[in-house]
Amino acid sequence: MIKLAHSELIVLLLSISTMLIISRIFAELGKRWKLPVVMGELIVGIILGPTILGMLYPDIFGYLFPKTGNIPIALDGIFSLSVIMLLFVAGMEVQLSQVLKQGKVAVYTSMFSMVIPFFTGFAVAWFFPEIFSISNEPGPKLLFALFFGTALSISALPVIARILMDMNLFKTNIGMVIIASAMFNDLIGWLIFSWILSMTNQIHSDTLSIGYTIFYIIGFGLFMLTIGKKIIDKTLPWMQTKLSWPGGVLSISLGICLLSAAFTEAINIHAILGAFIAGIAFGDSVHLREEAREIIHQFVTNFFAPLFFVSIGLKVNFIENFDPVIVAIVLVLAFVGKVLGATIGARIGGMSKNQSLAVGFGMNARGAMEIILGTLALNAGLISKPIFVALVIMALVTSITSGPLMKKFID
Amino acid sequence: MDLSKLKRRPAYPFETIAVAISFSPRCQSILSEAKRLSDIFGASLLLLHIGDKTSEKEQYLDGIMLAAKVDPNHSRIIWMEGDPVDTILQLCKLNIVDLLVLGALEKENFLKFYIGSIARNISRKAKCSVLLLTNPTREPLKFKKIVVNGVENPKTINTINTSLYLAKHLKVKDITIVNEMDVSGLAMAISDNSTAPQTKELKKNLAEDSVETLQMIIDKCDAGDIKVTNKIIKGKPGYAISKFSKDKKADLLVINSPDTHLNVFDRIFTHDIEFVLANLPCNVLIVHSRV
Repeated sequence: MIKLAHSELIVLLLSISTMLIISRIFAELGKRWKLPVVMGELIVGIILGPTILGMLYPDIFGYLFPKTGNIPIALDGIFSLSVIMLLFVAGMEVQLSQVLKQGKVAVYTSMFSMVIPFFTGFAVAWFFPEIFSISNEPGPKLLFALFFGTALSISALPVIARILMDMNLFKTNIGMVIIASAMFNDLIGWLIFSWILSMTNQIHSDTLSIGYTIFYIIGFGLFMLTIGKKIIDKTLPWMQTKLSWPGGVLSISLGICLLSAAFTEAINIHAILGAFIAGIAFGDSVHLREEAREIIHQFVTNFFAPLFFVSIGLKVNFIENFDPVIVAIVLVLAFVGKVLGATIGARIGGMSKNQSLAVGFGMNARGAMEIILGTLALNAGLISKPIFVALVIMALVTSITSGPLMKKFID
Repeated sequence: MDLSKLKRRPAYPFETIAVAISFSPRCQSILSEAKRLSDIFGASLLLLHIGDKTSEKEQYLDGIMLAAKVDPNHSRIIWMEGDPVDTILQLCKLNIVDLLVLGALEKENFLKFYIGSIARNISRKAKCSVLLLTNPTREPLKFKKIVVNGVENPKTINTINTSLYLAKHLKVKDITIVNEMDVSGLAMAISDNSTAPQTKELKKNLAEDSVETLQMIIDKCDAGDIKVTNKIIKGKPGYAISKFSKDKKADLLVINSPDTHLNVFDRIFTHDIEFVLANLPCNVLIVHSRV
């Protein structure tokens, strides 16, 4: 087994601790201006990465984050684990029963808030690929158009939940409709994105056909959300009473997440889908104690999330890859598609004009989910760095503006 | 079908009580209980059987009616063929039934639950209140502890008032009105950006809001000399109150009728009333407010 050398281990520990401590300081500073935590983490990545540290002090940057040797491999493993964990906790908050419970207003809102931004994004990418410097070959163009549509239609549950909590709307009718619709958006969005990723892999490695991929994704999802969920539901009370608390349930839940992620990766669907679906199956259980849920959230959000979001700034030079035209197009499409779609859906579902607009702006927050989606697409070679930078900026702008714009339409 | 008499008809008083006769081993116990309730509430009794009418069945029914002391002059028997669920629902509407009494197993087997048993399917669709008896006996059931769902919903006030009406007639002195505090999503919202005091404050505010909401509902009700206790419990709506009723060894759980049309997906992704129907914690009264 290859081991890290003594000096490599020191550098690895130094780089991780630097990322964690500085991102926490920035998150706490950002809190004063009500900025999302993810923004602080991204800024730390930009400061520690090639954009600032790499340009001003290339020796320090090269020492902390070397590009060769075992350290990048170790860090890549940690970042991959981080994204898997992030998707697991994102899944834990998706409760499909909420969508059913909220009835037609949630169904219409989630459908329209997905369909309109998806087709807006797809159409622009398909008919004007030159804007994004995408080749006109049908294969890559189709995959990019599908990705772009998905990227515009996804929502960010954690940011939305936080905004609603701050506005004291969390348990209100509007709040529940927004949460339920965002849950449904996330589920469908991640299913489509997993399929796009596996299709991208297929182009490179010729593994699975489209039919098989769809069959595996739907089959795996159905199995986990019915039989898998039942098994978890039956065994969870035992885990929480007979095993060490909370250690037992933590290790088993994270173990199931990794097992599920390994399975989907093995059948050539990305590991994130396994983690996300395992999260849904686990989080939806009535037996999962609130303390266990909080511990998993705290652990992932405060350890893995900062590492992942800081790592983004380490990989991409945000100044070099800033394209104002792409940023403007992405921002306009994101706002128009999502706000319009969610507002129309809520209005058809029976909400008043102002309430529908509040739902529209509430659903517009993309936050961390968009950044994760963009990072995975960038790693898979689906998008270029300028598009990635535009998506990150869009995620931040929509997250920051969502609350204040929503407030304008709340009675 | 003229449904104008049904619209806006209050959930109580119970003027017509119907009971579904299935000729099962528990049939006589269910009939005895329906008879007792009709006597207490001064309601007319309607016996419904969906199936063919044979002399053996008629003879058997006469026997159990005699044993349950059902006066044929103050009750009606309706025999009808057709789909049991649809026919019973239609008969209840036509006869302006206020309370339908049904026998129900505490738990159905896996397949039957997803397909939907007769009693549970009626409970999901009925346009009148439904009383599900899990363990009927020939001796009168004693309802000592009643648990009522105090969820924030326009129907709840009617459900609580119906429970109080029931409690007054059944001479129940103790009612617990429960509000379930659903904290799902809270862990996600507080995970990255809240200090310990902020988290504590948020949780405290949520709990206080629930107490306040419940108290506002209770204040609108006329409890008379019945002792009403309010209780806030954490957990998923439906599941939490079901567990609470079981732990408290309640005799009757009173809940609102469903707000939406329920189907098999509501059983797969269980929520609210489906948690109760999946595993009846005790006798259950589903109040249809007709509002």
